[in-house]
Amino acid sequence: MPQLSLSVNARPVSADVEPRCLLSNLLREHLGLTGTHIGCDTSQCGACVVLVDGKAIKSCTMFAHQAEGCEVTTIEGLAGEGTLHPMQEAFRDHHALQCGFCTPGMIMASVALARDNPALDEAAVCKGLEGNLCRCTGYQNIIRAVLAGAKSMRGKHDV
Amino acid sequence: MEKYGIGQPVRRKEDVRFLTGKGVYIDDISRPNLVHAVILRSPHAHAKILKIDSSEAQTMPGVLAIVTGQDWEREDFAPIPTRSAVKTKISGAPLNQPPRHCLAIERARYVGEPVALIVAESSAQAQDAAESIEVDYEELEPVTDQVKALEPGAPQIWDDIEGNICLDFELGDKQATDKAFAAADHVVSLELRNNRVTAVPIETRGAIAEYDAASDSYLLHNATQNVHANRATFADVLKISPDKLHHVAPDVGGGFGAKNSGYPEPPLLLYAAKKLGRPVKWIADRNESFQGDTHGRDQASKVELALDSEGKFLALRTSTIGNLGAYCFTMGPFTPTAGSARTQGGPYDIPAMFYSAIAAFTNTMPLDPYRGAGRPEASFQIERVVELAARELGIDPVELRARNLMRADTLPRKTPMGLDVDTGDFPQLFERTLKMSDREGYAKRVQESRARGLRRGFAIAPYLECSGGMPKEFAGVTFASDGTITLSVGSQSTGMGHETSLPQILGARLGVDMDKIAYVQGDTDATPLGGGHGGSRGLEMGGSAVMTAANDIIAKARHIAAHMLNSTPDDISFANGAFTDVKTDQNIAMEDVIAASFEQGRLPSDMEPGCLDTGVTYERELITCPNGCHAAEVEVDPETGSINVERYWVVDDFGTIINPLLAEGQVMGGIAQGLGQALMENIVYDEESGQLVTGSLMDYALPRADSMPNMQLAFFEDAPTAKNPLGVKGAGEAGCCGAPPAIVNAVLDALKGDGVTHIEMPLTPEKVWRAIAGGKLSP
Amino acid sequence: MYEFQYHRPNSLEDAAKLFDAAGDPQYLAGGQTLIPVMKQRLAMPSDLIDIGRIGDLHGITADKNALTIGAMTTHAQVASCDKVRESIPALASLANHIGDPAVRNRGTLGGSIANNDPAADYPAALVALGASVQTTSREIAAEAFFTGLFETALEEGEMIVKVTFPVTDCAGYEKFPNPASRYATVGVFVARTKERVRVAVTGAGLSVFRAGDIEAALETDFSPDALDGISISADGLNSDLHASAEYRANLIIVLARRAAAKANAA
Ligand SMILES: Cc1cc2nc3c(=O)[nH]c(=O)nc-3n(C[C@H](O)[C@H](O)[C@H](O)COP(=O)(O)OP(=O)(O)OC[C@H]3O[C@@H](n4cnc5c(N)ncnc54)[C@H](O)[C@@H]3O)c2cc1C
Ligand code: FES
Ligand code: FES
Repeated sequence: MPQLSLSVNARPVSADVEPRCLLSNLLREHLGLTGTHIGCDTSQCGACVVLVDGKAIKSCTMFAHQAEGCEVTTIEGLAGEGTLHPMQEAFRDHHALQCGFCTPGMIMASVALARDNPALDEAAVCKGLEGNLCRCTGYQNIIRAVLAGAKSMRGKHDV
Repeated sequence: MEKYGIGQPVRRKEDVRFLTGKGVYIDDISRPNLVHAVILRSPHAHAKILKIDSSEAQTMPGVLAIVTGQDWEREDFAPIPTRSAVKTKISGAPLNQPPRHCLAIERARYVGEPVALIVAESSAQAQDAAESIEVDYEELEPVTDQVKALEPGAPQIWDDIEGNICLDFELGDKQATDKAFAAADHVVSLELRNNRVTAVPIETRGAIAEYDAASDSYLLHNATQNVHANRATFADVLKISPDKLHHVAPDVGGGFGAKNSGYPEPPLLLYAAKKLGRPVKWIADRNESFQGDTHGRDQASKVELALDSEGKFLALRTSTIGNLGAYCFTMGPFTPTAGSARTQGGPYDIPAMFYSAIAAFTNTMPLDPYRGAGRPEASFQIERVVELAARELGIDPVELRARNLMRADTLPRKTPMGLDVDTGDFPQLFERTLKMSDREGYAKRVQESRARGLRRGFAIAPYLECSGGMPKEFAGVTFASDGTITLSVGSQSTGMGHETSLPQILGARLGVDMDKIAYVQGDTDATPLGGGHGGSRGLEMGGSAVMTAANDIIAKARHIAAHMLNSTPDDISFANGAFTDVKTDQNIAMEDVIAASFEQGRLPSDMEPGCLDTGVTYERELITCPNGCHAAEVEVDPETGSINVERYWVVDDFGTIINPLLAEGQVMGGIAQGLGQALMENIVYDEESGQLVTGSLMDYALPRADSMPNMQLAFFEDAPTAKNPLGVKGAGEAGCCGAPPAIVNAVLDALKGDGVTHIEMPLTPEKVWRAIAGGKLSP
Repeated sequence: MYEFQYHRPNSLEDAAKLFDAAGDPQYLAGGQTLIPVMKQRLAMPSDLIDIGRIGDLHGITADKNALTIGAMTTHAQVASCDKVRESIPALASLANHIGDPAVRNRGTLGGSIANNDPAADYPAALVALGASVQTTSREIAAEAFFTGLFETALEEGEMIVKVTFPVTDCAGYEKFPNPASRYATVGVFVARTKERVRVAVTGAGLSVFRAGDIEAALETDFSPDALDGISISADGLNSDLHASAEYRANLIIVLARRAAAKANAA
């Protein structure tokens, strides 16, 4: 297997990993980016969502080698060190997290959702988060946070 | 108003860590030389283990150790003890507690029971090895349903426990209850099930065990909700002294009860860590969690309500058969017995009550407390039978409830179940909930639904529950000369936000900036004791311990302040973070007193530097009674049976609200889990084979964003409890108590024109459709 | 997961060569079915041939009569493509209701139909619209393509290249999702083409099937009301934890009526 090269959080990365290494394994085990979480084996929970070339994908359901040459963004790379992305900010303001385990996937999915849908409403947020399970919050605060986060992203031209 | 004061919606301190991916959960921890464990589990519900052949597996690449039940038996480890102290009714004897070993020995009694531990250099290698272990089973007939388990001739799960009965239980006045029933104008009776569910925290369980030969001691990092209690349990199993086991919980990704229990995996890992001299990690995968995480609820009950001709409640009689699974788990026998008995009758004035229960063994994963542990069951029972009574007596269900609520001027009182209800105003909460729910607009909404071919229904569900969990809690506060304060508490947050709310309490009481307070929890080295999480005890117990510690600190600081102001402690008052000499009006800030506490020269002669460090144990005398009122409006599609919970209102009385943001979060999360149980969640075992049918997220449905209604919340804060220094009643489990009855009754209200009076949870589309289609269908 | 070899060819020829050379190979498209299955150790291919970067498998083209979609086109691309939304909006809407956004960003048309999950959505569209499947060796009519439970007419090594959908004047799809997996408990696709009305049902049988009685009724009167009084036999329909055969039979009629209403509104 040739070396794998890709960009992770705007940094070039090359790695020598087995074919069966999932993108989530690459991020968590090889790159130490443990903010991407694993909550299931059947690709249902969304705790592992990251952006690949700007699109939300489940990193547990993609081989690392399939991301050859791609740009991957994880929760750690969403904002600069010491700052929060507007979506992270909105989650905090709206108490949209409790245990925090679903949160990275939830935020990455929400950022993609906000970028893809200039006119988000509540129904669109619910549909957009169909692949992200949260067991703590009851979702209402998450929905509010995503709407608010999307609005402030538009304000900051991050759309 | 102070920025961080009690009652302020302070944003959470822990959030920045979680939002940026810097939380440290169990699977984020690694260790040099780490090896990985996999558990081989029984594929059968009931089978003799004739032989385990691991000879091939032993030789596979990377394999380091394989441990079977026989090996475990040879080591002579103890079974995992239950901590449930319920006594049987007749003899008062302890319950029947069969030995629960970490690995099945000779016989497996449920699908997923651990049969062997495999440790290898990588988890893939361990898995490969697990697959090549040959286990020779002789299958036995299983029984998974608790009612069937009690029938004559049912398969016996334990040779020496006749009839599969763990214990029988009674509470209340049977004679008075029977008498009231005999004299009643109406008796309404309902048989119902409380479906079996499981917590499904999004983080699965997992642990890393380490052993240090030099000190002959262990370190266990574990995704648990309860380090102290489980340390005792694991130490018991391994026959070591608890102080040889340092038990630490890192960030924990949700628990809801399922991470409270004394599970078999950690002792296995500790054993392997010692044997191999290397750290051993195990992380459950999700499918494994469905088999191996404790389940909750699963009660079959008969509820009877006696009423007079005016619809006044006279007596309540409930009998329950609770499913325990194959073993007594940590608190399993408590839930269907004492756990469900105490809050029978909810907030209603019912002069006579009697509760009886049998806890039965079955070939299923054992049950243990799940968010509410008996109180949601009790709340569901009373609310369902009241709804049915309204229907049968032809009284408006809202009116029937209003007529029977305990009045505020009758408090405090002890219910016939022995619950001390001290403060509250149930009728006022009920009225407020009704007002919020826009009853005036309801008729119009019904019309609009009808125009779209849908049925609309409404129900209101007041509830009264109680807190629980360990009755003691520790809080320690240490001060450092650089101004930082460390607060260590034995209660534990798995998402509830104690890292914010407990420093918030300490900061507010001491008048110091809460940002200077570092918070430590979930570590047996940090506190001498701790009750962890469970029973909505976080603020009640942890918060009260912090408050007590703060008061002790203030008392000591008062002496220092008096010394510094050349006054006497009696003349010193404390408010808003400052000590004031009431005579001279001179004052000094708490922060200055803290700074002075490090300098002998500024201290009274009987005090020493570091004297402000404080450790206290708070002990509760009486459990608290959170209460409130839920209301739901639903739409039902009669063609498909689909339910849409459209609107939702709640008014809760949790006593004093420390942080409304966090309290609301608890309510909404509880409602989501209650909604899940009411509409979609269900653990199903195949009756014949005992196989777990709902073994993955492909079959076990969880609520998603689009399942949830718009929830409107309010708090009633006029009735704080005097049972603890904070006046808090507990918030964590209330949502689970109110939501199932509110939602189920609203659906049945929508279907009243169809003559539907009962549907068992979960109200899946097919069940609803069948209930509506009724006679039109073949059976 | 078991070990395997990974290959990423750039052309159909290279893919075929790699396939022939391997012991027990499988094509890998979006991986949204294959990877979960492999993670649970329910499949153990010796080689995975990633067809994601083969240019011939990508792209959507449309003319007056037909819409052609490359096998590697993701559900998200189908859902958002203007050409699809204009010529067969029901197809775009179907794609937009498969799984969730992350699944739609990876999962592909080719992978979905090659897998032929009895609860998958696309098979209903292909059959109702009378689509044809272009493979590396031939063209197969949709109805002949789906042959049984997880089975298709594809031969060993044969790859789906693209699917051609005749443009229809009106069509509608209605799905009743499984509450846990979100696949179709039942899905009904109703389409009126120049020649006739076709109604395909997914989720209810071993594989997608056409509902003759419903077609006949809609043929006479293409309106939801035409289905009043029609019932479907539960015999042979799937029965599982989430829905009995009888309930599925009911859903077929209810969804057919709603799909017909959507088609009429389109
Ligand atoms: C959480 C979740 C929810 C889902 N919900 C739905 C849903 O609601 N409805 C639905 O229909 N589906 C659903 N799916 C399945 C999804 O649509 C998959 O994308 C699809 O079934 C398979 O497509 P793929 O591109 O991912 O194929 P892969 O997983 O890569 O491959 C699947 C199979 O097809 C073969 N294959 C792939 N491409 C070709 C080709 N061009 N020629 C020949 N063989 C090929 C592969 O060898 C493999 O055997 C869901 C999946 C997940 C994970
Ligand atoms: S870990 Fe659950 S979807 Fe990826
Ligand atoms: S915050 Fe705990 S799962 Fe979402």
